[in-house]
Amino acid sequence: MPTEFKLPDVGEGVAEGEIVAWLVEEGDTVTEDQPVAEVETDKAVVEVPSPYNGTVRELHYDEGDVVPVGSVIVTFDVEGEEVEEVDVEPEETEDEAEAEPEAPDSGGRTFAPPSVRRLARELDVDLATVSGSGPSGRITEGDVRAAAEGEAEEAEADAEEAPKQAVSKVEEESVSAEPQEAAGREKTLAAPATRRVAEELGVDLNDVPAAEERDGEAFVDESAVRAYAESQQAAQAADTAAVQAGESGESGAREERVPYRGVRRTIGKQMEKSKYTAPHVTHHDTAVVDALADVREKLKPVAEDQGFRLTYMPFIVKAVVAGLKQHPYLNSQLDEENEEVVLKNYYNIGIAVATDAGLMVPVIENADEKSIPEIADEMRDLIERARERSISREEMQGGTFTLTNFGAIGGEYATPIINYPETAILGLGALEERPVAEDGDVVAKETLPLSLSIDHRVIDGAVAAEFANTVQEYLENPSMLLLE
Amino acid sequence: MVVGDVSTGTELAIIGAGPGGYVAAIRAGQLGIDVTLIEKDAWGGTCLNYGCIPSKALITATDVGHEADTATEMGIHADVKVDVEQMTSWKDGVVDQLTSGVEKLCKANGVNLVEGTAEFAGNGKLRVAHGGQGQGSETIEYENAIIATGSRAIQIPGFEYDSEYVLSSRDVLDLDSIPESLVVVGGGYIGMELSTVLAKMGCDVTVVEMLDDILPGYEDDVKRVVRKRAEDLGIDFRFGESASEWEERGDDIVVTTENADGESFEYATDKVFVAVGRQPVLDTLNLDAIDLEPNDDGRLETDHTGETDVDGVYAIGDVAPGPMLAHKASKEGQVVAEVVAGKPSALDYQAVPAAVFTDPEIGTVGLTEAEAEEEGFTPVVGKFPMSASGRALTTGHSDGFVRIVADEDSGFVLGAQIVGPEASELIAELGLAIEMGATLEDIAATIHTHPTLSEAVMEAAENALGHAIHTLNR
Repeated sequence: MPTEFKLPDVGEGVAEGEIVAWLVEEGDTVTEDQPVAEVETDKAVVEVPSPYNGTVRELHYDEGDVVPVGSVIVTFDVEGEEVEEVDVEPEETEDEAEAEPEAPDSGGRTFAPPSVRRLARELDVDLATVSGSGPSGRITEGDVRAAAEGEAEEAEADAEEAPKQAVSKVEEESVSAEPQEAAGREKTLAAPATRRVAEELGVDLNDVPAAEERDGEAFVDESAVRAYAESQQAAQAADTAAVQAGESGESGAREERVPYRGVRRTIGKQMEKSKYTAPHVTHHDTAVVDALADVREKLKPVAEDQGFRLTYMPFIVKAVVAGLKQHPYLNSQLDEENEEVVLKNYYNIGIAVATDAGLMVPVIENADEKSIPEIADEMRDLIERARERSISREEMQGGTFTLTNFGAIGGEYATPIINYPETAILGLGALEERPVAEDGDVVAKETLPLSLSIDHRVIDGAVAAEFANTVQEYLENPSMLLLE
Repeated sequence: MVVGDVSTGTELAIIGAGPGGYVAAIRAGQLGIDVTLIEKDAWGGTCLNYGCIPSKALITATDVGHEADTATEMGIHADVKVDVEQMTSWKDGVVDQLTSGVEKLCKANGVNLVEGTAEFAGNGKLRVAHGGQGQGSETIEYENAIIATGSRAIQIPGFEYDSEYVLSSRDVLDLDSIPESLVVVGGGYIGMELSTVLAKMGCDVTVVEMLDDILPGYEDDVKRVVRKRAEDLGIDFRFGESASEWEERGDDIVVTTENADGESFEYATDKVFVAVGRQPVLDTLNLDAIDLEPNDDGRLETDHTGETDVDGVYAIGDVAPGPMLAHKASKEGQVVAEVVAGKPSALDYQAVPAAVFTDPEIGTVGLTEAEAEEEGFTPVVGKFPMSASGRALTTGHSDGFVRIVADEDSGFVLGAQIVGPEASELIAELGLAIEMGATLEDIAATIHTHPTLSEAVMEAAENALGHAIHTLNR
């Protein structure tokens, strides 16, 4: 008997994942716990194991598709017998047997009060995919409503994007084929078979114009779904034709739509939270680092002999740690709930890394306890793995202060956004020769522009300046680092 | 009066007006569905007329007498006389009040009541033969149908109920005098409940059970409490024997039983009461007409909405899979009515509670410790003996215990077994706990009235958490 397997919640609060690669093919025999797919979420890439022994009957998505948690991704032919889940489809006409959802493993019962179970049915939420926030993980009414809203957002996004395409080009000119307008209801009744057709055609039932009502709710049948899908496809074809005509002609595509997903969206949300929560102040200064440049020049061959490439970063990390020790409020976090500032007596320094997928911040833990070569080595490893995307979520958590080296690409000053809930972030401009006034003369010196953003709720500008001065002192007199 | 064959149409036809059917009808009526309820015998079905209600009436009545008769320890010396006729008529009054109430409620909710025996005459069609001569029959065309025909007592060969000496549970509930002696075939809950009633009325009861204990399906320590009390009441148990035949001998009858070794035993008795279980009633329905077939258990398979393999035909209660319990039938009836009305309803309950009205009572819900383990939980168990309950002692009945089974990690309550006074009432709290996803701590932290039996539930939860006050925590 065919059994549907839904994309599980592969990480805390993850709403969707991209099928990076299928590890099985249709017709393959699988054993329980054998990985069937690699799924990338906005947090990490994980392997999804098969919950069954059996055969893969159907893979429901292509590689590269973004799939909401709870969507059926694989249909298995399961060995032996299974239990039917009590999942609900009120309107119920035909072909029922095929679409029975699968019960979780024994012992994996869902704990939710009857009123919450009823609400889940009304909102068409699969309780098995909801993580409960109540005592011991009991599912509450709020959890179900949140899950339903999450799904509604997905649905809206899908509707905007329909038909699914990674990048769809939209010509702003009017198109000849008039698509049926998306109805955009909150709730639609339909037979399971109709729901299946809608899913196959990538149509959101809530967008299909409803010809009839049942019990005051819009009711949609299969023919309406097909008609809507056709009209959408016709519109899409017209779009494509218009785009192609435009490209071959003069106007060209004027806009491109790229899904706001995954790591990009995570970064966006994190930045939004930081910037709207912590009032930022950015302090700018410049360190004259001739001496540091000399030291590095001298040590470079030594380091090479030891097998590592010596950059300025490990020195800067050490200088920052020295500064943090003297100015502990820079290495803190505001506990808003308890109205306390948490001063941290450990120094986990995050290093912002630009990757193809976006910004990532691997963390060097206990940087105060590590030597310069150790920091250099660890940093190289973390950065490499961040770029390869093989870094784990844990390695990007627990930072107490962050460094962002935008100068590696170029530029002098910036206004970095704090890696919330930390209190401060130090941005490094390009380390290069710049004119410096010295004893009445302008001379060329190696300089490092510093941009320090702080959370003004926790500290004031004066403290920021003092911290910057300390860091600067260490950078300008690197021999002081020997005492650290 | 309807004469001849007439045809009517209905949105929902319900066959059988027991606790499944009449509840479905009322709920459907509330939801504005045009509903027709067909009953061949009596409104309320077996439960109200020949089962739960009359048996509980007799259990209570005999308890009153028996308590009065055995309360010398409390300083009460009574000379109890039982007027069986009066007791029966009181019981019948209770039944009449309830069944006429059902009829009134149905009518008040716009349910069309049809008296007669229904059978399928093709998809969407029922033929209802009205009882009595010249009453004729009618055809009812339905959009949806609910089969709620319930069950009947199983007959064993040689012990047909047509003899005045062979009683079904229905006959026992309608006795006009108490036999001096009775052989009860079957130690299940019906046999045990009525054996207890008759023993308390002074009847010499012998229970013959094929298995090696009473009440199959219950845990040993639960059964032990009931069996011990039954023995104290003078009930004899003959385990491992099955009844093979009976014959009249003088004024008595003699029931012959056999054990597994082929030995036979004879019991002289006034009457024999056969209570070996119940079977679904589907043979009167002509299911072939809609291509519907019972499964190997003689039940109709249903999905989570109660629907059978035939579209628009639902089955609830004893003809559907699951325990044969009135309250399960009623829940199914409500759900199916809502499903037919297009509501997002489903049979998604976590547990069906059950009660046995023996002395003492048994109340159970959800999983036993062993079942929880089978389901993959790591169970933790809390137990509280009724002998440590102040209230139990003041009732003079302190046999039994409350046991709660929960998931060790999360504390979620998974099941409970109660044997003791008012166990049938006490179990409700634990049913709610299971449905709500309540934890042991939720129960333990809820203040329970003192002095009541319900404190035992709280203490059992505390015991599972290792901090019961009135019993030692293991």
